[in-house]
Amino acid sequence: MHKQLSDLINRNVTGANAVAFLAADKKNDSSITVEASHIFKVVNFLKNNSENSWNSLHCISGVDYMDHMEVCYMLTNYDPNNNKGVLILKAKLTDRVNPNIDSIVNLFLAANFQEREVYDMFGIKFNNHPDLRRILCPDDWEGWPLRKDYVAQKYYQGIEVYPDNKMNMEDREYIVRQEMIKKAQAAKAQ
Amino acid sequence: MSAQVHQTSSLKEYFAALASGVFTSLKGMWITFRYVWAVKPVSIEYPEVREVLPDRARMRLFNDVQNCISCTQCAMACPVDCIYIASEKFPEGTEIKKTSNGQPIRLHLTQFTIDTALCCYCGLCTTVCPTECLTHSHDFEFSAYTIDQMKYDYLAPDIIAWRDRIVKS
Amino acid sequence: MQTRWDIGEPEKPTINQDTEQLKSELLVLNMGPQHPATHGVLRIEIWTDSEIVAHAIPHVGYLHRCMEKHAENIDFRGIIPFVDRLDYLAAMNMEWTYAAALEKMLGTEVPRRAELLRILTCELQRIASHLMAFGTYALDLGAFTPFLYAFDYREKILRLFEEVSGARLLYNYIWIGGLWNDWTNEQLERVSAFCDDMEEEAKKYHELVSMNKIFIERTANVGVMNIDDCLTYGASGPVLRGAGMKWDLRKNEPYSLYSEFDFDIPVGEAEHGVVGDCWNRYMVRMKEVVQSIRIIRQVIEKLEPGPIMGKVPKVLKLPEGEIYVRHECPRGELAFHLVTKQDEKMPYRLKVKSPCFTHVSMLPHVAPGQMIADFVATVGSIDIVLGEVDR
Repeated sequence: MHKQLSDLINRNVTGANAVAFLAADKKNDSSITVEASHIFKVVNFLKNNSENSWNSLHCISGVDYMDHMEVCYMLTNYDPNNNKGVLILKAKLTDRVNPNIDSIVNLFLAANFQEREVYDMFGIKFNNHPDLRRILCPDDWEGWPLRKDYVAQKYYQGIEVYPDNKMNMEDREYIVRQEMIKKAQAAKAQ
Repeated sequence: MSAQVHQTSSLKEYFAALASGVFTSLKGMWITFRYVWAVKPVSIEYPEVREVLPDRARMRLFNDVQNCISCTQCAMACPVDCIYIASEKFPEGTEIKKTSNGQPIRLHLTQFTIDTALCCYCGLCTTVCPTECLTHSHDFEFSAYTIDQMKYDYLAPDIIAWRDRIVKS
Repeated sequence: MQTRWDIGEPEKPTINQDTEQLKSELLVLNMGPQHPATHGVLRIEIWTDSEIVAHAIPHVGYLHRCMEKHAENIDFRGIIPFVDRLDYLAAMNMEWTYAAALEKMLGTEVPRRAELLRILTCELQRIASHLMAFGTYALDLGAFTPFLYAFDYREKILRLFEEVSGARLLYNYIWIGGLWNDWTNEQLERVSAFCDDMEEEAKKYHELVSMNKIFIERTANVGVMNIDDCLTYGASGPVLRGAGMKWDLRKNEPYSLYSEFDFDIPVGEAEHGVVGDCWNRYMVRMKEVVQSIRIIRQVIEKLEPGPIMGKVPKVLKLPEGEIYVRHECPRGELAFHLVTKQDEKMPYRLKVKSPCFTHVSMLPHVAPGQMIADFVATVGSIDIVLGEVDR
């Protein structure tokens, strides 16, 4: 199904470069990777064509591989007579400093909250999104939490983010402290 | 935009709706009125009357340190890292004691602290304990005044004293 | 922290033509994070013109606990307590979805008795979750008695779960490869007795609440979400079925052993009101309780003694891959997007698609034009649990 669908996309949307990744067995899922710059046209085609249409957006998920980031769009077709499962559409973003991609809010309104969450967690900007701001983290939080190179800020509005009394460091470093105490006592005895 | 109010109805519909409202409410009230005499009350008068918890209930943790072999499986299994264990080798020539189910105790346990405030009572630590010294007791009324009191040092004598109450054999 | 101002104030519609010369403004009201009717810490900024809502802007994130980031640092078995805490009122369904995702990736075979008991447990959990939804919905609308009745029956289910798994709400019971503990025959007999009682109770709730004229007047024709809206917003579960679409993953994309069972899918049929309104969504939940009882009775007949845990290695290391698994949970379709790297003990990325998150995004679409009391009825009817919305 994925091979035929990627061929269909390539015939109808020029420049999409849809490549199907077919999973070897049932343990993994197949997916289709398209060019990030053509995502709006591809999703528009998938929604509105007559051969193989998908009428609902299930989820948008971002993944941070170390050298690039991927935005995965999960499309489904809610039709009791024609169940096609879930289609995973991926768009690769190589720019880590200022990643951006077109928003598909005008096609599926579900993308509103989902894209806000991807922006909040990864810093990927969605062009033409009506209301792109943080959704789960507080509005003035710094940093993109789900990136692999994320380090949390030390203070947020004057509150310590990792306070010492909650970190239980004395308990974790019990052995090290006992050895330091023994060394100090031995040094004193000499 | 206009409010989504219901359209004005005729006089006949008005009285029909009124009668239907009264009738269905009375039907509902008959159901609740039966509870005055026909149904046994389900509330129990806690704390004078307490329920007996089922055997598998996962309440406060208890570690029987006499039987602990310091394998640190519980600390590794814990998803929130609330168990802190430290142990050292016995000095040469010490007699090796055995646990209640026959395993030799080769390491001297020097620290066994559980931060109960972090514990999520999932029970993963109790399933991996090879000697079954770490178990869930049935105590659930253990709130403390400060959060430091929630760190339980299982080698302290007052916690060892719970052993008679909790461990059955 | 209020950043609504940087995108400009919303357009003020001319609502009240008669009083326009009075230069009335819209009133901003916070149906704030602490509210008895928002089912958790949800803040909805409502702009009202006297009693009519002009805009409703939901702000979520008050219960964000960074579960997806934590999951990248904890091994696969240890994530199950975290997954429990997503939708804490339907924890068994959450655990089953996660365990199913991992089992599909590992290729483990779950023994038949474990699969049947998982279906039994999750259908009981579905009944408990719908009872909670029913009780709190009636409570939002001002009726206190159905809340207590619902909790009485929910207590019976939770006591059964406490005897089997050890906890009342956050179970850690459905493990990767099977189950933790087994059910005894005596407990199964109690489940049968409970099913008989629950069918009687469901009829009683029907008379007490569903057919009460006041309840119908408050919920019929209110908060209509028709099928086109549901599809574009990605709604699923009772919201989509209340809108008229006969879609249930247990029938349309059967997972586990659901294809062996005989049950119906209730759809909003507009006995009162229109399809897609609050009354029809509520009735879909009530009818689903009866269907769940049917499934439970069939499971008890089919149960046979056997193992409850499949063969799973002691140290779980998954091969490299990516998987997306969705299950039908009481509030909608929950899905896990799991990405793993070769021979790692922890997931590389675990994304949770929560149904309540998409349903909350429908509120700004449905709210304009409703009275505030109708808006409360709408928020209650979509049955949100903030643990799932915020993760």
